[in-house]
Amino acid sequence: MLKAAINTDIFKESIDVMAAMVTECRMHISPGGFSTRAVDTANVAMVSLELSAGAFSSFDATESDIGLDINKMKNIVAMMEKDDTLSLDLPEGGHKIEMSFSGYKYSIALLDVNTVRKDPNPPTINLPGKVVISGSVLYNSIKAAALVSDKIAFGIDPEKGIFYMEADGDMDHIYYELPKDDLVSFVPAEARSLFSLDYLKDLGRVMSKSDQVEIHIGMDHPVKFAFSIADGKGNVEYLLAPRIEAD
Amino acid sequence: MGVAIRDLISDYKTPVEWGELRGPAAVDGNNALYQFLTTIRQPDGTPLMDREGRVTSHLSGIFFRVISFLENDIKPVFVFDGAPPDFKSETLEVRRERKAVAETAYRQAVAVGDTASAFRHARAATKVDETIISGAKELLGYMGVPCIDAESEGEAQAAYMVMNGDVRYSISQDYDSLLFGAPRLVRNLTVSRKRKVRGRTITVSPEEILLSDVLEGKGITREELVEIGILVGTDFNSGVKGVGAKTALKIVKSGKFIEALGEKDPGFDPQPVKDFFLSPPVVTDYSLSWSHVDREGVISYLCSRHDFSEDRVNSVLERIGVKGGQKTLDSWF
Repeated sequence: MLKAAINTDIFKESIDVMAAMVTECRMHISPGGFSTRAVDTANVAMVSLELSAGAFSSFDATESDIGLDINKMKNIVAMMEKDDTLSLDLPEGGHKIEMSFSGYKYSIALLDVNTVRKDPNPPTINLPGKVVISGSVLYNSIKAAALVSDKIAFGIDPEKGIFYMEADGDMDHIYYELPKDDLVSFVPAEARSLFSLDYLKDLGRVMSKSDQVEIHIGMDHPVKFAFSIADGKGNVEYLLAPRIEAD
Repeated sequence: MGVAIRDLISDYKTPVEWGELRGPAAVDGNNALYQFLTTIRQPDGTPLMDREGRVTSHLSGIFFRVISFLENDIKPVFVFDGAPPDFKSETLEVRRERKAVAETAYRQAVAVGDTASAFRHARAATKVDETIISGAKELLGYMGVPCIDAESEGEAQAAYMVMNGDVRYSISQDYDSLLFGAPRLVRNLTVSRKRKVRGRTITVSPEEILLSDVLEGKGITREELVEIGILVGTDFNSGVKGVGAKTALKIVKSGKFIEALGEKDPGFDPQPVKDFFLSPPVVTDYSLSWSHVDREGVISYLCSRHDFSEDRVNSVLERIGVKGGQKTLDSWF
Protein backbone atom coordinates (compact mmCIF):
# COMPACT_ATOMS: atom_id res chain seq x y z
CA MET A 1 0.00 0.00 0.00
CA LEU A 2 1.15 3.50 -0.76
CA LYS A 3 -0.54 6.81 -0.18
CA ALA A 4 1.76 9.75 -0.68
CA ALA A 5 2.09 13.27 -2.02
CA ILE A 6 5.27 14.78 -3.42
CA ASN A 7 6.42 17.95 -5.15
CA THR A 8 6.41 17.33 -8.91
CA ASP A 9 9.95 18.73 -9.28
CA ILE A 10 11.31 16.14 -6.85
CA PHE A 11 9.44 13.30 -8.52
CA LYS A 12 10.61 14.43 -11.95
CA GLU A 13 14.20 14.65 -10.73
CA SER A 14 13.95 11.11 -9.36
CA ILE A 15 12.60 9.76 -12.65
CA ASP A 16 15.34 11.61 -14.56
CA VAL A 17 17.95 9.97 -12.33
CA MET A 18 16.68 6.53 -13.33
CA ALA A 19 15.91 7.33 -16.98
CA ALA A 20 19.53 8.30 -17.60
CA MET A 21 20.40 4.61 -17.32
CA VAL A 22 17.44 2.21 -17.36
CA THR A 23 14.00 1.86 -18.86
CA GLU A 24 12.46 -0.02 -15.96
CA CYS A 25 13.23 -0.86 -12.36
CA ARG A 26 12.02 -2.62 -9.25
CA MET A 27 11.09 0.06 -6.75
CA HIS A 28 11.10 -1.00 -3.12
CA ILE A 29 8.53 0.85 -1.08
CA SER A 30 8.73 0.85 2.70
CA PRO A 31 7.59 3.11 5.53
CA GLY A 32 11.04 4.74 5.20
CA GLY A 33 10.57 5.78 1.55
CA PHE A 34 11.52 4.55 -1.92
CA SER A 35 14.69 2.74 -2.92
CA THR A 36 15.93 1.00 -6.02
CA ARG A 37 19.11 -0.31 -7.57
CA ALA A 38 19.37 -1.27 -11.24
CA VAL A 39 21.96 -1.97 -13.91
CA ASP A 40 21.73 -1.10 -17.58
CA THR A 41 21.21 -3.82 -20.18
CA ALA A 42 24.92 -4.03 -21.01
CA ASN A 43 25.85 -4.37 -17.31
CA VAL A 44 28.21 -1.44 -17.63
CA ALA A 45 26.51 1.01 -15.28
CA MET A 46 24.48 0.85 -12.10
CA VAL A 47 22.16 3.36 -10.50
CA SER A 48 21.09 3.39 -6.90
CA LEU A 49 18.40 5.77 -5.66
CA GLU A 50 17.05 6.29 -2.18
CA LEU A 51 14.26 8.75 -1.61
CA SER A 52 13.34 9.05 2.05
CA ALA A 53 9.80 9.51 3.31
CA GLY A 54 10.90 13.02 4.28
CA ALA A 55 11.16 13.96 0.61
CA PHE A 56 7.38 13.58 0.38
CA SER A 57 4.87 16.08 1.75
CA SER A 58 2.90 13.12 3.06
CA PHE A 59 3.87 9.45 3.07
CA ASP A 60 2.14 6.34 4.29
CA ALA A 61 3.31 2.98 2.99
CA THR A 62 3.71 -0.68 3.79
CA GLU A 63 6.53 -2.86 2.44
CA SER A 64 6.10 -3.74 -1.21
CA ASP A 65 8.01 -4.00 -4.48
CA ILE A 66 6.61 -2.55 -7.65
CA GLY A 67 7.81 -2.71 -11.26
CA LEU A 68 8.09 0.78 -12.73
CA ASP A 69 8.16 1.47 -16.44
CA ILE A 70 10.58 4.39 -16.41
CA ASN A 71 9.92 5.31 -20.06
CA LYS A 72 6.23 5.64 -19.33
CA MET A 73 6.95 7.64 -16.19
CA LYS A 74 9.19 9.98 -18.15
CA ASN A 75 6.33 10.76 -20.52
CA ILE A 76 3.95 11.36 -17.63
CA VAL A 77 6.26 13.65 -15.67
CA ALA A 78 6.61 15.71 -18.85
CA MET A 79 2.93 16.55 -18.39
CA MET A 80 3.46 17.84 -14.84
CA GLU A 81 3.59 21.52 -14.00
CA LYS A 82 6.57 22.84 -12.08
CA ASP A 83 6.27 23.01 -8.30
CA ASP A 84 2.92 21.25 -8.30
CA THR A 85 1.80 18.37 -6.09
CA LEU A 86 1.63 14.78 -7.29
CA SER A 87 -0.52 12.33 -5.34
CA LEU A 88 0.35 8.64 -5.49
CA ASP A 89 -2.12 5.98 -4.49
CA LEU A 90 -1.51 2.25 -4.67
CA PRO A 91 -3.85 -0.13 -2.83
CA GLU A 92 -2.46 -3.20 -1.09
CA GLY A 93 -1.58 -5.77 -3.77
CA GLY A 94 -2.72 -3.39 -6.52
CA HIS A 95 -1.39 -3.64 -10.05
CA LYS A 96 -2.09 -0.04 -11.00
CA ILE A 97 -0.84 3.11 -9.36
CA GLU A 98 -3.00 6.19 -9.37
CA MET A 99 -1.11 9.41 -10.12
CA SER A 100 -3.03 12.66 -9.72
CA PHE A 101 -1.77 16.15 -10.57
CA SER A 102 -3.15 19.37 -12.06
CA GLY A 103 -6.61 17.84 -12.33
CA TYR A 104 -5.32 14.78 -14.23
CA LYS A 105 -5.86 11.37 -12.71
CA TYR A 106 -3.74 8.66 -14.35
CA SER A 107 -4.14 5.01 -13.53
CA ILE A 108 -0.86 3.45 -14.57
CA ALA A 109 -0.31 -0.27 -14.99
CA LEU A 110 2.73 -1.50 -13.10
CA LEU A 111 5.17 -4.02 -14.50
CA ASP A 112 5.12 -7.49 -13.04
CA VAL A 113 8.15 -7.36 -10.71
CA ASN A 114 9.07 -10.90 -11.73
CA THR A 115 9.71 -9.69 -15.26
CA VAL A 116 12.00 -6.87 -14.16
CA ARG A 117 15.66 -7.69 -13.74
CA LYS A 118 16.56 -8.42 -10.14
CA ASP A 119 18.49 -5.83 -8.17
CA PRO A 120 22.22 -6.33 -8.42
CA ASN A 121 24.08 -6.98 -5.20
CA PRO A 122 25.96 -4.02 -3.77
CA PRO A 123 29.39 -4.15 -5.42
CA THR A 124 32.53 -4.80 -3.43
CA ILE A 125 34.83 -2.09 -4.55
CA ASN A 126 37.60 0.03 -3.14
CA LEU A 127 38.03 3.44 -4.73
CA PRO A 128 40.76 5.29 -2.86
CA GLY A 129 40.62 8.68 -4.59
CA LYS A 130 37.81 11.12 -4.00
CA VAL A 131 37.02 14.64 -5.17
CA VAL A 132 33.94 16.75 -4.78
CA ILE A 133 33.06 19.22 -7.52
CA SER A 134 29.96 20.97 -8.73
CA GLY A 135 27.74 19.03 -11.12
CA SER A 136 27.84 21.80 -13.71
CA VAL A 137 31.65 21.79 -13.83
CA LEU A 138 31.60 18.03 -14.23
CA TYR A 139 29.00 18.15 -17.00
CA ASN A 140 30.83 20.93 -18.83
CA SER A 141 34.03 18.90 -18.85
CA ILE A 142 32.11 15.89 -20.18
CA LYS A 143 30.64 18.01 -22.97
CA ALA A 144 34.04 19.48 -23.74
CA ALA A 145 35.63 16.04 -24.00
CA ALA A 146 32.79 14.78 -26.19
CA LEU A 147 33.81 17.31 -28.84
CA VAL A 148 37.02 15.40 -29.53
CA SER A 149 36.49 11.83 -28.33
CA ASP A 150 34.04 9.13 -27.26
CA LYS A 151 35.90 8.42 -24.03
CA ILE A 152 37.36 10.39 -21.15
CA ALA A 153 39.93 9.63 -18.46
CA PHE A 154 39.42 10.81 -14.90
CA GLY A 155 42.52 10.89 -12.77
CA ILE A 156 44.17 12.18 -9.62
CA ASP A 157 47.82 13.17 -9.40
CA PRO A 158 48.45 13.12 -5.64
CA GLU A 159 51.91 14.70 -5.92
CA LYS A 160 50.67 17.68 -7.87
CA GLY A 161 47.46 17.76 -5.84
CA ILE A 162 45.22 17.88 -8.88
CA PHE A 163 42.16 16.15 -10.27
CA TYR A 164 42.21 15.95 -14.06
CA MET A 165 40.10 14.94 -17.01
CA GLU A 166 41.63 14.06 -20.33
CA ALA A 167 40.31 12.90 -23.68
CA ASP A 168 42.04 11.75 -26.84
CA GLY A 169 40.44 11.68 -30.24
CA ASP A 170 42.05 10.39 -33.44
CA MET A 171 43.66 13.78 -34.02
CA ASP A 172 42.68 15.93 -31.09
CA HIS A 173 43.29 16.09 -27.39
CA ILE A 174 41.75 17.90 -24.46
CA TYR A 175 43.05 18.25 -20.93
CA TYR A 176 41.42 19.94 -17.98
CA GLU A 177 42.68 20.03 -14.42
CA LEU A 178 41.38 21.29 -11.14
CA PRO A 179 43.86 21.99 -8.31
CA LYS A 180 42.78 20.84 -4.88
CA ASP A 181 42.06 24.39 -3.77
CA ASP A 182 39.36 24.64 -6.42
CA LEU A 183 37.73 21.46 -5.24
CA VAL A 184 35.11 21.24 -2.52
CA SER A 185 36.91 18.22 -1.13
CA PHE A 186 40.00 16.24 -2.16
CA VAL A 187 41.23 12.82 -1.01
CA PRO A 188 44.45 12.20 -2.93
CA ALA A 189 45.37 8.73 -4.21
CA GLU A 190 47.00 7.51 -7.41
CA ALA A 191 44.02 7.08 -9.74
CA ARG A 192 43.24 7.01 -13.41
CA SER A 193 40.46 5.26 -15.32
CA LEU A 194 38.92 5.65 -18.75
CA PHE A 195 35.16 5.89 -19.33
CA SER A 196 32.66 5.93 -22.15
CA LEU A 197 31.27 9.36 -22.90
CA ASP A 198 28.08 7.78 -24.27
CA TYR A 199 27.16 6.94 -20.71
CA LEU A 200 28.65 10.02 -19.11
CA LYS A 201 26.74 12.46 -21.29
CA ASP A 202 23.43 11.06 -20.01
CA LEU A 203 24.59 10.85 -16.41
CA GLY A 204 26.26 14.27 -16.57
CA ARG A 205 23.04 15.95 -17.67
CA VAL A 206 21.34 14.70 -14.49
CA MET A 207 24.31 15.49 -12.24
CA SER A 208 24.67 19.02 -13.66
CA LYS A 209 21.80 20.14 -11.42
CA SER A 210 23.62 19.15 -8.27
CA ASP A 211 25.82 21.62 -6.35
CA GLN A 212 28.16 18.90 -5.22
CA VAL A 213 29.00 15.59 -6.80
CA GLU A 214 31.38 13.16 -5.11
CA ILE A 215 33.62 11.38 -7.60
CA HIS A 216 35.29 8.22 -6.31
CA ILE A 217 37.98 6.77 -8.54
CA GLY A 218 40.79 4.22 -8.60
CA MET A 219 43.22 2.68 -11.07
CA ASP A 220 41.32 1.04 -13.94
CA HIS A 221 38.33 0.73 -11.70
CA PRO A 222 34.75 1.89 -12.00
CA VAL A 223 33.93 5.46 -11.10
CA LYS A 224 31.27 6.18 -8.52
CA PHE A 225 29.35 9.42 -8.58
CA ALA A 226 27.35 10.23 -5.46
CA PHE A 227 25.07 13.20 -5.05
CA SER A 228 21.91 14.19 -3.31
CA ILE A 229 18.55 15.30 -4.60
CA ALA A 230 15.38 16.63 -2.96
CA ASP A 231 17.26 18.97 -0.60
CA GLY A 232 19.31 16.12 0.77
CA LYS A 233 16.32 13.83 1.34
CA GLY A 234 17.30 11.68 -1.58
CA ASN A 235 20.64 10.05 -2.41
CA VAL A 236 21.86 8.86 -5.75
CA GLU A 237 24.84 6.76 -6.74
CA TYR A 238 25.94 6.01 -10.26
CA LEU A 239 28.60 3.38 -10.86
CA LEU A 240 30.21 3.12 -14.28
CA ALA A 241 32.62 0.39 -15.38
CA PRO A 242 35.82 1.54 -17.07
CA ARG A 243 36.88 1.08 -20.64
CA ILE A 244 40.16 -0.66 -21.34
CA GLU A 245 42.97 1.80 -22.00
CA ALA A 246 44.53 1.18 -25.42
CA ASP A 247 48.27 0.50 -25.45
CA MET B 1 2.29 -26.43 -39.91
CA GLY B 2 -0.20 -24.45 -37.92
CA VAL B 3 -3.86 -24.02 -38.61
CA ALA B 4 -5.20 -22.42 -41.81
CA ILE B 5 -7.67 -19.92 -40.39
CA ARG B 6 -6.10 -16.84 -41.97
CA ASP B 7 -9.30 -16.05 -43.86
CA LEU B 8 -11.12 -15.60 -40.57
CA ILE B 9 -8.35 -13.63 -38.92
CA SER B 10 -7.46 -11.14 -41.62
CA ASP B 11 -10.04 -8.55 -40.51
CA TYR B 12 -8.61 -8.53 -37.00
CA LYS B 13 -4.95 -7.97 -37.78
CA THR B 14 -3.82 -4.57 -36.59
CA PRO B 15 -0.51 -3.02 -37.63
CA VAL B 16 1.70 -2.39 -34.63
CA GLU B 17 4.95 -0.47 -34.30
CA TRP B 18 8.03 -2.03 -32.73
CA GLY B 19 7.98 0.79 -30.19
CA GLU B 20 4.56 -0.32 -28.94
CA LEU B 21 5.82 -3.79 -28.15
CA ARG B 22 8.06 -3.02 -25.19
CA GLY B 23 8.13 -5.47 -22.33
CA PRO B 24 8.32 -9.23 -21.88
CA ALA B 25 7.16 -11.44 -24.75
CA ALA B 26 7.08 -15.20 -25.31
CA VAL B 27 8.68 -16.35 -28.54
CA ASP B 28 7.57 -19.62 -30.11
CA GLY B 29 11.13 -20.95 -30.23
CA ASN B 30 10.65 -23.87 -32.63
CA ASN B 31 8.65 -21.68 -34.98
CA ALA B 32 11.38 -19.03 -34.97
CA LEU B 33 14.15 -21.58 -35.56
CA TYR B 34 12.21 -23.13 -38.42
CA GLN B 35 11.83 -19.71 -40.03
CA PHE B 36 15.54 -18.98 -39.71
CA LEU B 37 16.55 -22.34 -41.09
CA THR B 38 14.22 -22.07 -44.08
CA THR B 39 15.00 -18.48 -45.00
CA ILE B 40 18.64 -17.88 -44.12
CA ARG B 41 20.18 -19.81 -46.97
CA GLN B 42 22.28 -19.25 -50.03
CA PRO B 43 20.52 -19.10 -53.42
CA ASP B 44 21.11 -22.84 -53.98
CA GLY B 45 19.55 -23.70 -50.63
CA THR B 46 22.81 -24.29 -48.74
CA PRO B 47 22.41 -23.06 -45.17
CA LEU B 48 25.00 -20.87 -43.49
CA MET B 49 27.71 -23.11 -42.11
CA ASP B 50 30.92 -22.77 -40.17
CA ARG B 51 34.25 -24.22 -41.28
CA GLU B 52 33.37 -27.60 -39.82
CA GLY B 53 30.15 -27.77 -41.79
CA ARG B 54 27.87 -27.12 -38.83
CA VAL B 55 24.69 -25.23 -39.72
CA THR B 56 24.63 -21.68 -38.33
CA SER B 57 21.63 -20.10 -40.10
CA HIS B 58 19.57 -20.30 -36.92
CA LEU B 59 22.34 -18.69 -34.85
CA SER B 60 22.49 -15.77 -37.23
CA GLY B 61 18.71 -15.45 -37.09
CA ILE B 62 18.57 -15.55 -33.31
CA PHE B 63 21.43 -13.12 -32.86
CA PHE B 64 20.03 -10.44 -35.13
CA ARG B 65 16.45 -10.87 -34.00
CA VAL B 66 17.25 -10.76 -30.29
CA ILE B 67 19.36 -7.64 -30.83
CA SER B 68 16.35 -6.05 -32.57
CA PHE B 69 14.18 -7.04 -29.63
CA LEU B 70 16.61 -5.57 -27.11
CA GLU B 71 17.00 -2.38 -29.14
CA ASN B 72 13.26 -1.95 -28.90
CA ASP B 73 13.10 -2.80 -25.19
CA ILE B 74 11.36 -6.09 -25.91
CA LYS B 75 12.34 -8.75 -23.38
CA PRO B 76 12.00 -12.11 -25.10
CA VAL B 77 11.66 -15.50 -23.47
CA PHE B 78 12.08 -18.38 -25.91
CA VAL B 79 9.72 -21.29 -25.41
CA PHE B 80 10.68 -24.63 -26.96
CA ASP B 81 8.47 -27.61 -27.66
CA GLY B 82 8.39 -30.49 -25.20
CA ALA B 83 7.01 -33.95 -25.92
CA PRO B 84 4.32 -33.96 -28.63
CA PRO B 85 0.94 -35.47 -27.75
CA ASP B 86 0.35 -39.02 -28.97
CA PHE B 87 -2.16 -37.92 -31.57
CA LYS B 88 0.49 -35.79 -33.28
CA SER B 89 2.48 -38.88 -34.22
CA GLU B 90 0.71 -39.31 -37.55
CA THR B 91 1.41 -35.69 -38.53
CA LEU B 92 5.03 -36.03 -37.47
CA GLU B 93 5.44 -39.24 -39.48
CA VAL B 94 4.00 -37.55 -42.58
CA ARG B 95 6.37 -34.61 -42.07
CA ARG B 96 9.36 -36.93 -41.66
CA GLU B 97 8.50 -38.70 -44.91
CA ARG B 98 8.04 -35.39 -46.77
CA LYS B 99 11.34 -34.10 -45.49
CA ALA B 100 13.12 -37.29 -46.51
CA VAL B 101 11.70 -36.93 -50.02
CA ALA B 102 12.64 -33.24 -50.10
CA GLU B 103 16.15 -34.08 -48.90
CA THR B 104 16.64 -36.50 -51.78
CA ALA B 105 15.18 -34.02 -54.27
CA TYR B 106 17.48 -31.33 -52.89
CA ARG B 107 20.61 -33.43 -53.43
CA GLN B 108 19.51 -34.29 -56.95
CA ALA B 109 18.80 -30.63 -57.77
CA VAL B 110 22.23 -29.63 -56.44
CA ALA B 111 23.85 -32.40 -58.49
CA VAL B 112 22.31 -31.10 -61.72
CA GLY B 113 22.84 -27.43 -60.83
CA ASP B 114 19.12 -26.56 -60.64
CA THR B 115 19.49 -23.72 -58.12
CA ALA B 116 15.83 -22.72 -57.88
CA SER B 117 14.67 -26.28 -57.20
CA ALA B 118 17.52 -26.85 -54.79
CA PHE B 119 16.48 -23.83 -52.75
CA ARG B 120 12.83 -24.94 -52.69
CA HIS B 121 13.63 -28.51 -51.69
CA ALA B 122 16.17 -27.41 -49.10
CA ARG B 123 13.48 -25.32 -47.41
CA ALA B 124 11.07 -28.24 -47.48
CA ALA B 125 13.69 -30.53 -45.96
CA THR B 126 14.38 -28.23 -43.02
CA LYS B 127 14.45 -29.92 -39.62
CA VAL B 128 14.68 -28.39 -36.17
CA ASP B 129 16.62 -31.05 -34.30
CA GLU B 130 18.23 -31.28 -30.87
CA THR B 131 21.58 -29.93 -32.10
CA ILE B 132 19.87 -26.86 -33.51
CA ILE B 133 17.89 -26.29 -30.33
CA SER B 134 20.82 -26.77 -27.97
CA GLY B 135 22.94 -24.36 -30.02
CA ALA B 136 20.13 -21.81 -29.96
CA LYS B 137 19.80 -22.17 -26.20
CA GLU B 138 23.50 -21.71 -25.65
CA LEU B 139 23.54 -18.49 -27.68
CA LEU B 140 20.39 -17.21 -25.94
CA GLY B 141 22.12 -17.87 -22.63
CA TYR B 142 25.03 -15.62 -23.63
CA MET B 143 22.52 -12.99 -24.71
CA GLY B 144 20.84 -13.01 -21.29
CA VAL B 145 17.57 -14.36 -22.68
CA PRO B 146 15.66 -16.99 -20.67
CA CYS B 147 14.46 -20.22 -22.28
CA ILE B 148 11.62 -22.44 -21.15
CA ASP B 149 11.06 -26.06 -22.16
CA ALA B 150 7.35 -26.54 -22.59
CA GLU B 151 5.62 -29.59 -21.20
CA SER B 152 4.30 -30.21 -24.70
CA GLU B 153 3.60 -27.62 -27.42
CA GLY B 154 5.59 -24.37 -27.17
CA GLU B 155 2.68 -22.28 -28.44
CA ALA B 156 0.47 -23.65 -25.67
CA GLN B 157 3.09 -22.74 -23.08
CA ALA B 158 3.49 -19.27 -24.56
CA ALA B 159 -0.29 -18.77 -24.56
CA TYR B 160 -0.43 -19.78 -20.90
CA MET B 161 2.29 -17.28 -20.03
CA VAL B 162 0.37 -14.47 -21.73
CA MET B 163 -2.85 -15.50 -19.99
CA ASN B 164 -0.96 -15.62 -16.70
CA GLY B 165 0.28 -12.04 -17.24
CA ASP B 166 3.97 -13.02 -17.14
CA VAL B 167 4.53 -11.79 -20.68
CA ARG B 168 2.55 -9.28 -22.69
CA TYR B 169 2.09 -11.27 -25.88
CA SER B 170 3.11 -14.31 -27.84
CA ILE B 171 5.29 -14.09 -30.94
CA SER B 172 4.61 -16.71 -33.58
CA GLN B 173 3.68 -16.94 -37.23
CA ASP B 174 1.20 -19.71 -36.53
CA TYR B 175 -2.39 -19.06 -35.56
CA ASP B 176 -2.45 -22.12 -33.27
CA SER B 177 -1.51 -19.71 -30.49
CA LEU B 178 -5.05 -18.30 -30.67
CA LEU B 179 -6.56 -21.76 -30.40
CA PHE B 180 -4.40 -22.34 -27.34
CA GLY B 181 -5.90 -19.15 -25.91
CA ALA B 182 -3.15 -16.55 -26.36
CA PRO B 183 -4.98 -13.26 -25.71
CA ARG B 184 -2.48 -11.33 -27.88
CA LEU B 185 -0.49 -12.73 -30.78
CA VAL B 186 2.16 -10.71 -32.61
CA ARG B 187 3.41 -11.75 -36.04
CA ASN B 188 6.03 -10.56 -38.51
CA LEU B 189 8.61 -9.36 -35.99
CA THR B 190 11.38 -9.90 -38.49
CA VAL B 191 14.58 -7.94 -38.78
CA SER B 192 14.54 -7.69 -42.56
CA ARG B 193 10.83 -6.75 -42.71
CA LYS B 194 10.66 -9.36 -45.47
CA ARG B 195 9.13 -12.80 -45.56
CA LYS B 196 9.02 -15.55 -48.15
CA VAL B 197 5.50 -16.65 -48.94
CA ARG B 198 5.03 -19.41 -51.50
CA GLY B 199 8.35 -18.65 -53.12
CA ARG B 200 7.82 -14.90 -53.33
CA THR B 201 9.48 -12.36 -51.08
CA ILE B 202 6.99 -9.89 -49.66
CA THR B 203 7.47 -6.93 -47.37
CA VAL B 204 5.81 -7.44 -44.02
CA SER B 205 5.35 -5.30 -40.96
CA PRO B 206 4.50 -6.29 -37.41
CA GLU B 207 0.84 -7.00 -36.75
CA GLU B 208 -1.08 -8.03 -33.70
CA ILE B 209 -4.21 -10.10 -33.28
CA LEU B 210 -6.30 -9.96 -30.15
CA LEU B 211 -8.16 -13.18 -29.49
CA SER B 212 -11.07 -11.23 -27.99
CA ASP B 213 -11.46 -9.26 -31.27
CA VAL B 214 -11.64 -12.47 -33.29
CA LEU B 215 -14.13 -14.15 -30.98
CA GLU B 216 -16.35 -11.10 -30.62
CA GLY B 217 -16.09 -10.22 -34.30
CA LYS B 218 -17.12 -13.66 -35.43
CA GLY B 219 -19.57 -14.21 -32.60
CA ILE B 220 -17.94 -17.44 -31.49
CA THR B 221 -16.40 -18.90 -28.36
CA ARG B 222 -12.82 -20.12 -28.12
CA GLU B 223 -14.14 -23.66 -28.10
CA GLU B 224 -15.86 -22.94 -31.41
CA LEU B 225 -12.64 -21.45 -32.78
CA VAL B 226 -10.95 -24.73 -31.89
CA GLU B 227 -13.72 -26.62 -33.69
CA ILE B 228 -13.14 -24.46 -36.77
CA GLY B 229 -9.45 -25.32 -36.51
CA ILE B 230 -10.23 -29.02 -36.31
CA LEU B 231 -12.42 -28.83 -39.41
CA VAL B 232 -9.74 -27.08 -41.50
CA GLY B 233 -6.95 -29.17 -40.01
CA THR B 234 -4.40 -28.67 -37.25
CA ASP B 235 -1.02 -30.14 -36.36
CA PHE B 236 -3.00 -32.94 -34.71
CA ASN B 237 -5.58 -33.85 -37.34
CA SER B 238 -5.79 -33.57 -41.09
CA GLY B 239 -9.13 -31.75 -41.22
CA VAL B 240 -12.04 -32.27 -43.57
CA LYS B 241 -11.19 -32.21 -47.23
CA GLY B 242 -12.71 -29.26 -49.06
CA VAL B 243 -13.59 -27.34 -45.89
CA GLY B 244 -11.86 -23.98 -45.55
CA ALA B 245 -12.04 -21.51 -42.69
CA LYS B 246 -15.17 -19.70 -43.92
CA THR B 247 -17.10 -22.91 -44.49
CA ALA B 248 -15.92 -24.21 -41.13
CA LEU B 249 -17.23 -21.06 -39.47
CA LYS B 250 -20.65 -21.61 -41.03
CA ILE B 251 -20.67 -25.26 -39.96
CA VAL B 252 -19.71 -24.46 -36.38
CA LYS B 253 -22.12 -21.54 -36.06
CA SER B 254 -24.97 -23.71 -37.30
CA GLY B 255 -24.11 -26.25 -34.59
CA LYS B 256 -23.18 -28.97 -37.07
CA PHE B 257 -19.56 -29.52 -36.08
CA ILE B 258 -20.00 -33.14 -34.96
CA GLU B 259 -22.34 -33.89 -37.82
CA ALA B 260 -20.01 -32.51 -40.51
CA LEU B 261 -17.01 -34.25 -39.02
CA GLY B 262 -18.91 -37.51 -38.68
CA GLU B 263 -19.99 -37.42 -42.33
CA LYS B 264 -16.56 -36.73 -43.77
CA ASP B 265 -14.30 -38.43 -41.27
CA PRO B 266 -16.37 -40.90 -39.25
CA GLY B 267 -13.42 -42.64 -37.59
CA PHE B 268 -11.99 -39.48 -36.03
CA ASP B 269 -12.76 -38.55 -32.42
CA PRO B 270 -12.16 -34.79 -32.10
CA GLN B 271 -12.48 -34.66 -28.32
CA PRO B 272 -8.83 -35.34 -27.39
CA VAL B 273 -7.67 -32.65 -29.84
CA LYS B 274 -10.27 -30.22 -28.54
CA ASP B 275 -9.27 -30.92 -24.95
CA PHE B 276 -5.63 -30.47 -25.86
CA PHE B 277 -6.21 -27.02 -27.32
CA LEU B 278 -8.49 -25.91 -24.50
CA SER B 279 -6.43 -27.21 -21.58
CA PRO B 280 -2.99 -28.21 -22.81
CA PRO B 281 -0.30 -29.50 -20.46
CA VAL B 282 1.92 -26.58 -19.43
CA VAL B 283 4.78 -25.90 -17.06
CA THR B 284 3.59 -23.60 -14.30
CA ASP B 285 6.63 -23.36 -12.02
CA TYR B 286 8.93 -21.51 -14.41
CA SER B 287 10.80 -18.38 -13.45
CA LEU B 288 11.74 -15.60 -15.82
CA SER B 289 15.01 -13.81 -15.35
CA TRP B 290 16.70 -11.64 -17.95
CA SER B 291 20.39 -10.96 -17.71
CA HIS B 292 22.83 -8.68 -19.50
CA VAL B 293 24.48 -9.63 -22.76
CA ASP B 294 27.74 -11.44 -22.08
CA ARG B 295 29.86 -9.92 -24.85
CA GLU B 296 32.79 -12.27 -24.38
CA GLY B 297 30.47 -15.27 -24.40
CA VAL B 298 28.69 -14.15 -27.56
CA ILE B 299 31.95 -13.39 -29.39
CA SER B 300 33.52 -16.65 -28.31
CA TYR B 301 30.49 -18.70 -29.30
CA LEU B 302 29.68 -17.02 -32.61
CA CYS B 303 33.12 -15.96 -33.81
CA SER B 304 35.63 -18.40 -32.30
CA ARG B 305 33.44 -21.47 -32.45
CA HIS B 306 31.21 -20.78 -35.44
CA ASP B 307 33.31 -18.45 -37.62
CA PHE B 308 31.06 -15.39 -37.60
CA SER B 309 32.80 -12.14 -38.48
CA GLU B 310 33.96 -10.51 -35.26
CA ASP B 311 33.70 -7.02 -36.76
CA ARG B 312 30.12 -7.67 -37.78
CA VAL B 313 29.13 -9.15 -34.41
CA ASN B 314 30.83 -6.31 -32.57
CA SER B 315 29.12 -3.64 -34.63
CA VAL B 316 25.74 -5.22 -33.99
CA LEU B 317 26.42 -5.54 -30.25
CA GLU B 318 27.34 -1.87 -30.17
CA ARG B 319 23.78 -1.06 -31.19
CA ILE B 320 22.66 -2.13 -27.71
CA GLY B 321 25.58 -0.47 -25.97
CA VAL B 322 27.75 -3.59 -25.69
CA LYS B 323 31.12 -2.32 -26.84
CA GLY B 324 34.54 -3.79 -27.29
CA GLY B 325 37.05 -2.37 -24.85
CA GLN B 326 34.26 -1.70 -22.40
CA LYS B 327 34.47 -3.61 -19.13
CA THR B 328 31.30 -4.67 -17.37
CA LEU B 329 30.53 -4.44 -13.67
CA ASP B 330 30.70 -8.25 -13.34
CA SER B 331 34.23 -8.12 -11.99
CA TRP B 332 33.15 -6.01 -9.05
CA PHE B 333 29.99 -7.82 -7.94
